[in-house]
Amino acid sequence: MPDGSGHMQPYLDQALEGSGSFAGAGTDWVDALRRDGAHAYGLHGLPKRRDEYWRYTNLNALADEQFRLSDGAPAIGLPSLPHKLVAELATYRVVVVNGRLRPDLCALGELPDDVLVSGLEDMLTAAPARLEPYLGKIIRLNDMPMAALNTAFLNDGMVMFVGDGIVLDKPVHLISITAPGADAMMVQPRHLVVMGKDTTATLIETHITTEGGSSFNNIVSELHLDEGANLNHFVFQEESKTTVHLSGTAVAMAAKTTYDSFVLQSGAAIGRSEIRAYMNGPGSDCRLDGVYLATDKQVVDNTTFVEHAAPECRSRQVYKGVLDGQSRGVFQGKVHVMRDAQKTDGHQLSRALLLSPRAEIDARPELEIYADDVKCSHGATAGELDEDLMFYLLSRGIPREQARRMLIEAFLSEAIAEIPLEQVAEDFTTHVRQWLVDNVDAHAGQDAT
Amino acid sequence: MALLEIRNLHATVDDKPIINGLDLTIGGGEVHAIMGPNGSGKSTLSYVLSGRAGYEVTEGEVLFDGKNLLEMEADERAREGVFLAFQYPVEIPGVTGITFLRTAVNAVRQHHGEAPFDAMDFVKFVREKAAGLNVSDDMLKRAVNTGFSGGEKKRMEILQMAALDPKLAILDETDSGLDIDALKVVADGVNAMRTKERGLLVITHYQRLLDYIVPDHVHVLAKGRIVKSGGKELALELEESGYAEFLEDAA
Repeated sequence: MPDGSGHMQPYLDQALEGSGSFAGAGTDWVDALRRDGAHAYGLHGLPKRRDEYWRYTNLNALADEQFRLSDGAPAIGLPSLPHKLVAELATYRVVVVNGRLRPDLCALGELPDDVLVSGLEDMLTAAPARLEPYLGKIIRLNDMPMAALNTAFLNDGMVMFVGDGIVLDKPVHLISITAPGADAMMVQPRHLVVMGKDTTATLIETHITTEGGSSFNNIVSELHLDEGANLNHFVFQEESKTTVHLSGTAVAMAAKTTYDSFVLQSGAAIGRSEIRAYMNGPGSDCRLDGVYLATDKQVVDNTTFVEHAAPECRSRQVYKGVLDGQSRGVFQGKVHVMRDAQKTDGHQLSRALLLSPRAEIDARPELEIYADDVKCSHGATAGELDEDLMFYLLSRGIPREQARRMLIEAFLSEAIAEIPLEQVAEDFTTHVRQWLVDNVDAHAGQDAT
Repeated sequence: MALLEIRNLHATVDDKPIINGLDLTIGGGEVHAIMGPNGSGKSTLSYVLSGRAGYEVTEGEVLFDGKNLLEMEADERAREGVFLAFQYPVEIPGVTGITFLRTAVNAVRQHHGEAPFDAMDFVKFVREKAAGLNVSDDMLKRAVNTGFSGGEKKRMEILQMAALDPKLAILDETDSGLDIDALKVVADGVNAMRTKERGLLVITHYQRLLDYIVPDHVHVLAKGRIVKSGGKELALELEESGYAEFLEDAA
């Protein structure tokens, strides 16, 4: 699919070449879905600054360097995970290496009846009909060009079905490992979660990179929440600084559902979490929270879109971050309230702490409201550490570096304290603390007064 | 050697002179009160001594225990034994009182070559100190000063003072915002810490506090200088006559 000037959009050639060998090839709707993805991406290409949702995050790195699609999962073992408590937590473990499910590393014993956790590739091959009502149904390809590219590469990832009425006894822990070789490598994982009526489950994701060359991780997750479903979703994004990590999540929420998401990002050269929640049924509750930590020249992007299509729904977003060095933070959040979505209660807040004069935050909270009986608010703050607080700690003998760390941790802990799963909250806190020790000490003298 | 010797101190805030040639000597075990009208430089003096950024000393010297205090950073002064009880203690959401106190106490202990407290020992240590000040475990578990009443904040200040065991404590308008019962609790806490080594500098606008914390010496501060010194009876005189005469004299 050439663009106007006859050039192929970057990476499309690899998708087209592979399409014959991807799982489910020959199944009409699967072929059509990939074609639609390729078409949408082919028209659009890599996002540009003029794209509304990509104004602040530049993907030139993807055009400059030719990433090759990973040719399968290398035979690595399970690396030790950065989060002690979550690692020790009893979970159903799913391991994806370079976008491919690794059954030998998974631990799915004793899954309740009517709960299925499997690989997308297996499902596309063995039971595509079960996927057909869901796969590709939430992602709006024209709004998400990188998700369109992922769709063109659709092949493997995790699939999870939770049958009606089930309260899953343990969290599902999806460990996503990017294992590059020497050359620039790309992976295109695709995940699907289908929560039946009146279900409850927790999904934890850990994203890490093993040592190697540069990598590009373009993830898409589709989450279907049927009436009365509750999904808690916690994400640790700690990929290496030679990775471009783009994650696009789309959530379809039927009536009386709750989706509670918390994303911690401290990894990747460019780390982007884009979440689109479509609140299609009344009486639902959506929470999108996050904490980010960035230094050097990292870019960390949290982009959200909450569509209130039904009345009496509530959405809350709180993103807090710390930016050091020459890092850049991006928060773009839109709450879109449609005409019928009366009694909507929507709030969003972005707060950034700038630790260095060269760090930067671009925050664009937006409300677009077409209903007349709603309660919505938004806000964004950015600033340095409060000098009054700083002096109070110093006046008690606490050394400046330690005082800085305490205040930064305190700033973030308000958000982390909202996490309902204790082990996750504690590991987030431990991670934040260690990050501060590793990164903030070195610059502590910089702004000494 | 005096505990604190301030000689010809001049200090500015935003290039505006606030302290204009102040001399004061405090010996171990002495309680000095500084009284003065609003804008006389009382709070500035407390911040200059505790090392707050933005308070610039342009002339003079301050010796603390024979050491040059002005060369030390704020945190170092605190570890050396200077304590400031704030007029308006700040709220620190996200940091519990107990964590805050333990971090501070351990920083001071380590500075003096003592082993830091572990969490268990510290709870015991701080409970003993807290008992007399009517500071509950619940207050310590909450974020520092967050949502505290005026009285709770001041009790928390005095608890910090007791835990840090400073050589010199500066009380900046500790009576402000307190009713008489709260004032008594705070004053009892301060009096319990009067020793023959510790110096106290009590800064206040009103004489009331000095009924409860009885000073050895009273100084009147006006326009950034000490214009009159005397015994505790001077505070009562000021209560009668007000500060008007000093404002005129200094003008």
